[in-house]
Amino acid sequence: MADGMLLQAVADTANAYRDFPVIGSRAAVWIAAEIHLMFAAFVLGVPIFAVVAEAIGIFGKDQRYDRLSKEFTRLLLIAYSATAIWGAVFVFLLSTLYPKFWAYLTAIFGPSMWVYVSIFFFESFTLYLYYYGWDRWKYGRAKIVHWCLGILLNVWGTTVMFIADSWLTYMMTPPRDITPETSPASIKIWHAIMNHTWMPINIHRLIGNVVFGGAIVGAYASYRFLAARTDEERAHYDWMGYVGNFIAMSALIVLPFAGYWLGREIYQYDQSMGITMMGGFMSWLWVIQAFLIAVLFLTGNYYLWIGMGRIPGAERYRPYTKWLLVVLVLGALVWGTPHTMIADSRELAAMGGSHHPLLGALGVMSAKNTAVNLMILATFLSFLLYRRANIRPVVPWAKTGTRIQAGMFIIAAAIVLFFGVRGYFVEAIVRIGYSVYQVGAVLACIVFVTLIDVLMARGAQSLGAIQWGKMPPRSQYALFILAVTFTWLMGLMGFARSGIRQHWHVWQVMQDTSQYAATPALGYAAIMISICVLIFLSLVGFIFWLGGLAEKSTFVPSTVEAPHVGH
Amino acid sequence: MWAINLRIIGVVLGTLALYTLIANKIPQVESEVPHALTLGANVTPEQLTNAGDQLYHGAGGCTACHGLGTRAPNLLTDEKGAGPIGARCGKREAGKDCKAYIYESLTNPRAFVVTGYEPIMPEMGRILSQQQIWALVAFLESNGGTVDVTASDIPAASAASGAGAAAPGAAGAPGIAGGSTDPMTMIRGAGCTACHKISGEGGAIGPDLTHVGSRLSANLIRESILLPDAKTAKGFEKFKGVMPKTFGHQFTAEQLEALVQFLAAHK
Repeated sequence: MADGMLLQAVADTANAYRDFPVIGSRAAVWIAAEIHLMFAAFVLGVPIFAVVAEAIGIFGKDQRYDRLSKEFTRLLLIAYSATAIWGAVFVFLLSTLYPKFWAYLTAIFGPSMWVYVSIFFFESFTLYLYYYGWDRWKYGRAKIVHWCLGILLNVWGTTVMFIADSWLTYMMTPPRDITPETSPASIKIWHAIMNHTWMPINIHRLIGNVVFGGAIVGAYASYRFLAARTDEERAHYDWMGYVGNFIAMSALIVLPFAGYWLGREIYQYDQSMGITMMGGFMSWLWVIQAFLIAVLFLTGNYYLWIGMGRIPGAERYRPYTKWLLVVLVLGALVWGTPHTMIADSRELAAMGGSHHPLLGALGVMSAKNTAVNLMILATFLSFLLYRRANIRPVVPWAKTGTRIQAGMFIIAAAIVLFFGVRGYFVEAIVRIGYSVYQVGAVLACIVFVTLIDVLMARGAQSLGAIQWGKMPPRSQYALFILAVTFTWLMGLMGFARSGIRQHWHVWQVMQDTSQYAATPALGYAAIMISICVLIFLSLVGFIFWLGGLAEKSTFVPSTVEAPHVGH
Repeated sequence: MWAINLRIIGVVLGTLALYTLIANKIPQVESEVPHALTLGANVTPEQLTNAGDQLYHGAGGCTACHGLGTRAPNLLTDEKGAGPIGARCGKREAGKDCKAYIYESLTNPRAFVVTGYEPIMPEMGRILSQQQIWALVAFLESNGGTVDVTASDIPAASAASGAGAAAPGAAGAPGIAGGSTDPMTMIRGAGCTACHKISGEGGAIGPDLTHVGSRLSANLIRESILLPDAKTAKGFEKFKGVMPKTFGHQFTAEQLEALVQFLAAHK
């Protein structure tokens, strides 16, 4: 089978590919696809929390959130055009540079591509209605209808993403009954869509888009903060930056769980693909990923700790921050410890074996899962301290509640540590199951501690209003680092997802026989990712500038009583 | 404002430069494309061994697991006192010489799984050509043993490569186990006992087949062989995906029906 396939592939290569001047066809398609995806993630993530912010504005009767939501949506308008332009560039490049592969994909997915275009059309016009109808449908039932338009916008956006995900997941994990000899015209479209990784990718991207959108909004707010001319404007964008960061970090905490699911599905589909990803030529990629996530955790927490400087009463919690920093740094070091890396005999000899004699024990999943769960707990504690900084609970059970909260943190950390240590003494298949207990303990702690905190904050005595705008500029640069890191991480994970197919357009069904078939090493990929991020951020910077031109100031000072809406 | 813009640009470029630098400082590994081998009728064992060496350390991806001492047995170095693969391959499976054993391990890796390891090895017949597989066999034999792969093996194996699972010597015979319709011969030939137990023989990775006829109808048994992931037996969910989905191509229709009826009668 493989012989015939190779000969056929060689024969077809002449007509299957065209080259792109100077940078080559792979780089051209890589750049177009990556930038399209970055804009797409932004325009799919932002509507999710725009509609949530509008709901808080309506039902919480706080017009600041309504204005915030409108400001998010204004950024969407221009970003939508950029998404469509880069999408068109991507399709034109793919269809002209890889015509045979494009013909194969369209033979299977043609009808879903027509549906995709139709829904994109509806999505665009729903967005126009949503934005331009904002001031017209501002009160009463009309406002609720307007909010429903926001929900509809999300429905269209999510559907569009699910359709596009089916094409790329088919390339990764085509159903096993499809072989190189299977005619694409004979493949049922629903059979191709319902492949192994379709739903895990859908969910992973849905959450990832929220993280990404939050980070970009945070960067926008920090830019406007730094450029602000008045204290009120500065206060508004300080608040907006906090909200963006809060959204990004909250969704980030959930993202690894969706990642585990995706990884598990990849292993179940094909062990060799999973091994290529985690222990083969891509094994070093996860060390870089650990470093990036460490930057995200440290920078996110740093931003919160600086932010506590503008909250009266926060000085009570300042002594704790250094211990949180210790947990985060130690956790990051453990998570970044290499373990089963691909190595040649010379490297193995230099290391004294397949693992480092001292650090090898920290590189296994037991240690890494423990580290990341403790980092999540530490970050949650930072949020909790930030939240409680300027209040003193007055409910009679306040002390007991705080002790229960502390107990929950201790129990969760103890469960994480217990299963982390026990993992060293059991079989791999049992050890994998332990991560569920560790994650469960952390999530339960987050849910119940938050619940207690909300109840405890009822009628709490205020120690003073948050002094929005009283933030040192370095905090805003931290938000920029977060946005750059999130964007780079997205590019890196995209390379991992796409790269594990190696020299296959469609895994073990359609081979890449072009001159660019070899999957490049991480160094080359990093250069490509940085170029994509730079182009994307430059365009986003231009969009931010346009956003500033369109509306000079949208802030509503927090002291102004918000008018009733949605009555 | 220009100062702020410059600082922002500095932060962005500095962060990008840092990440790019780190990614370029770590070991650079490129995933190569396996190139088609053209071996003539007078190919020498040395040429085969050299080609296999390149595949083993490159596009074959073997070093991702073999040699680390955790995921898969060491092949080029000693494994639990038995020496490298060339020294121990002839003693692994009864009735199989070194060449047959290594060939089977590459093309039908679940037929025999070394105790203490998971059945994670991919079927290399899906990825590599027959010429490349035989080059790998020669290279592995050369590590501690004698290379006895010759040019005559390669076309013979190619003729039987449709399933990619036939052992050397069985070339040209349709189906598994030389087309035998004896159920136990088929079960052993297809490597079922590597995972399933039947009448006290075999492993525990898949459900015990000793009384399978009392649990499943003939139709369901047939479906389980042809589409093993369609339904997963309770308690074996974590092994979903392990059973090969290629038996529909490997068994002849006569063999399949004989096997189904045999298992259905095992009540």
